[in-house]
Amino acid sequence: EARCLSRSGGAGGLAQWVLVELQGEVEPRQSGGLGGSVLGDLHYTRQGVPVLIVGHHILYGKVVQLEKPFAVLVKQGAGEPGPAQPHARYTVTALIKTKLLFKTRPKPIITNVPKKV
Amino acid sequence: GAMRSRAEVDATLQTAKLNPAELLPVAHCLSFAPQAGTGECCLLQLEPGLCAELEEGRSLVIRGEKDEQAVLCSKDKTYDMKIADTSNMLLFIPGCKTPEQLNADQASCNIIHSQIAGFSNNYWELRRCRPKLKKLRKLLMEDPYEGPENQKDKSLTFSKYTTEDLLSLIQASEEEILHQLQVIDACKIEGYWRIVEFDYEMKLLNHVTQLIDSESWSLSKVPLCTCLEELGSLEPKEMIEHILLSYGRKYIDDAGEVYFEMNEDKICRAIAQMLLQNAVKFNLSEFQEVWQQSVPEGMTTRLDQLKGLALVDKSSRPETIFLLKVEDLPESNQERFNSLFSIREKWTEVDITPYIQDLCAEKQTVGALLTKYARSSMQNGVKVYNSRRPIS
Repeated sequence: EARCLSRSGGAGGLAQWVLVELQGEVEPRQSGGLGGSVLGDLHYTRQGVPVLIVGHHILYGKVVQLEKPFAVLVKQGAGEPGPAQPHARYTVTALIKTKLLFKTRPKPIITNVPKKV
Repeated sequence: GAMRSRAEVDATLQTAKLNPAELLPVAHCLSFAPQAGTGECCLLQLEPGLCAELEEGRSLVIRGEKDEQAVLCSKDKTYDMKIADTSNMLLFIPGCKTPEQLNADQASCNIIHSQIAGFSNNYWELRRCRPKLKKLRKLLMEDPYEGPENQKDKSLTFSKYTTEDLLSLIQASEEEILHQLQVIDACKIEGYWRIVEFDYEMKLLNHVTQLIDSESWSLSKVPLCTCLEELGSLEPKEMIEHILLSYGRKYIDDAGEVYFEMNEDKICRAIAQMLLQNAVKFNLSEFQEVWQQSVPEGMTTRLDQLKGLALVDKSSRPETIFLLKVEDLPESNQERFNSLFSIREKWTEVDITPYIQDLCAEKQTVGALLTKYARSSMQNGVKVYNSRRPIS
């Protein structure tokens, strides 16, 4: 049967979210998955350059207006987690028109400079 | 854990040797929402126009049974859905602000705690595709309407479809479905979409053409009112009107009277189908003679009226003609070409065009299709196309 992508937010506009694109994978520091754990601090320079501090790394990125925006779909009801299944029911929850792209190699933060002996 | 404080954020900046003076005063502390890793959220990349439609409050629908490849439909377009993988990690964050938004919003030195709703390394990609409408005809042909006397016992078969039924079963947008219903001259009877069975349709058409003849009406000025009066005792009035709508163009004259301008090409074509369906093939010149005699007075038959309906075999002696309806051929590109090449090994562009025209995507030409799915060669000074692969 047809599955309408229903909208959350009713008559009001759809929420606008932001996408953050990182190279590689995000891994939890402790076991037990990522839910609830901290990723890091996001700053912007006065010139609008996004700066992300993740663990011992500084990442510099750029703000990109997406040529093709994304819709965020949230699966309705219980279902198997994992890759998107077209035959499940989804709600359009938000739109994403902007992404923060972090492509440069992270700069490590050196916290302790060993003293010369 | 507890949310990070401004002091902690500043301490991190110091450790990172970043100068707070060079940064906007507001910082985001990003953490993962509790359900972030569960895969409940996914991303759909929007083709041009779809974003605006969503913002205007219009909805998108995913259509497809479990054995069909899912498509996404807006009000008037259909898209194939495909998963695209990215080597990067995409995090989607509600409430995260861009520099412009922060500059516009003169908040004091502050922290925004943003929870990452989800993350993914893939997203749905859309590609505009032809609506999958062959199923529509197939469904409606399960129980074609044969007229009031031939109504099958309703308890035996209930293969009837409302608009809602069709919307849930056909992988196409609503507008594409409604348009196709018009193209195939479907009509709504008692709330259900029906295709009129061909023999009954010809019976209806015959009533009308005979009346036109006996009243000596001009073919471009057939009055609805009189048709309904004269024929209403023979057939349901809705069916009389339906046949006029199918084979004519409705207009209203200055006095407010409804008339039809009859479609000569369409009438000739229907009569040709009626003649051709009775045998595998016909002697071409005999057929042309019978055909011209069978059409209403004042109409002229031409072979080009039969594009996509019948094919002439110029290689046989005598030349022959046989029924070949494009709507009976497979819907997908490769299968359509396979089918055509198994019917005839070599085709001219003129002959094959009516049988592949409907395969063209939004800006695709017949030439592009032929380049992709066929191989060309010269035969007797004429360019012909044959299959790229051996046909068993």
